[in-house]
Amino acid sequence: MTEPSPVVLVVDDEVQIRRFLRAGLELDGFVVQDAETGADALKWVTLKQPDLIILDLGLPDMDGGDVLERLRAWSSVPTIVLSVRSNEAEKVRLIQGGADDYVVKPFGMAELLARAHAAMRRQVRASSGEPTVKAGPLTIDLAARIVTLNGQRVMMTPKEYKLLQILAQHAGNVVTHQYLLKEVWGSPHMHDTHYLRIFVRKLRQKIEEDPTQPRILLTELGIGYRLAIPETPKPMMQ
Amino acid sequence: MTREAALRIRDELRGILLALLMVAVTTVIALGLIEYFGVRRGSALYLIPVMLAGWHLGLVPALVAAVAGVLWSGYLFFSPFYTYFLARPNEILNLTLFMVVGLVTSHLASQAKRQTELARRRENEMSDLYAFSRRLASAPAAAEIYLAIEEYVANLVQRNVVLYEASSDGSLDNHTVPAEMRAALAEIQRGSIPATTIEDGNGNSWFMRRVSQRTPDFGVIAIDLGRAGKDMMAETRQRLDEALSDAAATLERLDVARTLTEAKMRSETELLREALIGSVSHELRTPLASILGAATVLTQSPVIARDERLKSLSSVVRDEAERLNNDIQNLLDATRISRGQVKPRMEWIEPQDIVNSALERRQRRLSGHSIAIAMDRNLPLIYVDPVLVEQAFVQVVDNAAKYSPPGSTITVAAQRNGHDVVLSVNDTGAGLTRDELARLGERFFRGSRHAGLASGSGLGLWIAKAFVVANGGRLQAESQGVDQGTTVSIHLPLSEHAPPPEAYPDD
Repeated sequence: MTEPSPVVLVVDDEVQIRRFLRAGLELDGFVVQDAETGADALKWVTLKQPDLIILDLGLPDMDGGDVLERLRAWSSVPTIVLSVRSNEAEKVRLIQGGADDYVVKPFGMAELLARAHAAMRRQVRASSGEPTVKAGPLTIDLAARIVTLNGQRVMMTPKEYKLLQILAQHAGNVVTHQYLLKEVWGSPHMHDTHYLRIFVRKLRQKIEEDPTQPRILLTELGIGYRLAIPETPKPMMQ
Repeated sequence: MTREAALRIRDELRGILLALLMVAVTTVIALGLIEYFGVRRGSALYLIPVMLAGWHLGLVPALVAAVAGVLWSGYLFFSPFYTYFLARPNEILNLTLFMVVGLVTSHLASQAKRQTELARRRENEMSDLYAFSRRLASAPAAAEIYLAIEEYVANLVQRNVVLYEASSDGSLDNHTVPAEMRAALAEIQRGSIPATTIEDGNGNSWFMRRVSQRTPDFGVIAIDLGRAGKDMMAETRQRLDEALSDAAATLERLDVARTLTEAKMRSETELLREALIGSVSHELRTPLASILGAATVLTQSPVIARDERLKSLSSVVRDEAERLNNDIQNLLDATRISRGQVKPRMEWIEPQDIVNSALERRQRRLSGHSIAIAMDRNLPLIYVDPVLVEQAFVQVVDNAAKYSPPGSTITVAAQRNGHDVVLSVNDTGAGLTRDELARLGERFFRGSRHAGLASGSGLGLWIAKAFVVANGGRLQAESQGVDQGTTVSIHLPLSEHAPPPEAYPDD
């Protein structure tokens, strides 16, 4: 292996959860570091910059949201939160608070890894200035502002492109309605979700094979949208 | 001489002294009038202390004031002045008249006062009685009535009142009853005598009767009459009877309320059970998250992936953990519904997004079936809580997968139908009888034919229905009969304020 293994910090007080996360992440090539409390996690992050943080929200010493807030004050390390179902408002709040994505407990390892890799790729893209994002048959060239579908150029209005661009910058991770509305239409329209719905419908007609069953521009109910990127399966380590 | 008589005499003596004092003050004023103004006909002045004494102090002080007043006016206002000697016969008549007027006045005054007092007391009693009956009428439980009776009667007779409640077996709760009274209480309770007055060991009289003459269920009331004995009782006896018959009627009415109390207790048990389900479910979910997570790691690990048997075993662990998690989620949802904690967060949403999300969530479970999708291209947006509707739709999809054979087709559709958007799931499975159709959506309802076919709690469609109703929609099931398949559809009304799709130009 030429590249150094990425380091992931797992912050969870449940020992069994940490055990399977460690197993799954190590199989995927990560070097895993544990923290049981929010204080431990913050201390560890200041000492060594990890490549990824997996953060459980129910920590014994402090709320996961507070850990995230303090972390984001100085670090942009990709962070995935472990959430519980039936609280969409909380998920939205966490993502707006700087989480790159979430998975809902109980979750499968594949789902967590997909979210984690997407968040890490975004970090790499941001630092390396990699200009194109591929989502299945769709290619978005962020530098040239050109969208192609199966090699064919797709014509878009500036707002449609803006929407797609934001999703592409977060490819694989969820982007909240509020963020998209604010970026594309401006703050006064932060809660006009129907703007988004209609725009996404038009966008899907341009980029999806079957707009009623989208494969690229996916809806996260109650939260936002996600640009699906094909997983690049890594050979598992033995 | 009793203490009370002594007190009465002391009060009377105080009244007489005060009456004399008022006469004395009047005399000083009269002397002043005579000396400085030369008034010579002032005997009427002495009517003032007589009337005041009659009003405030009673008959005897008034009489004393009248006699003293006559003597003083004879001394001051009738010639020869400053003697008690009366010179002329007409003056004797005057003084006699004065005395009569004084006596009548004092009598009238004390009478009027007694009337006023009586009227005031009646009024108080009436308002007490009114308050009492209002309290009875609104009493939520028997205990409240017993308290009301105790307080009302105690207030009425100004005496200590004790109520002995009958316990459920009809015997009296009498461990606090003085030994002397126990036998009498028991007899009254049995109904062999209606009421009685007995003396306890300390020489106090107690009047006792059943609260209701018709039934022993409401216990016995005992009133401590102190040493006054039976005389005291005579005047309040009738009012006591009235009050108790009111109370007894209310208590009889409350037998209905007793049933209500029991129902309330039952619903509290229900609440407790739900709280228990809630906390147990949460406790179960934590280890389940580890099991499910670990199973997904195992199924993907290369060592296991190489061995078909191990691979299928770890899939079993994963799938069953997932199923268990769904069952727990159903229990939690059911608890949430029963507690009225389902609060939709409405937003505009594409109907097909809901369907797609549900199918994505159930991808693995549906992999054994062939899925046909029929969605209208330009469905209007709907204004619902997308998460709740999706969860309802997942339940409907689960149901179809559960009750139709593997390999059969499940058709999922999203269509417009008049003023509704209809999300439906059609299967070619077990179907439903007319009776089953009618009962579908009841909590815990499971068709007996299906017991062997698939596992389940009977909660799924009940939850789906509750979530759909919370969004202003309705759940509908159709079946042509046994083995003819089933269609379950979620009807969601279009909002009147639906934004037209073309309202927002591209830029």
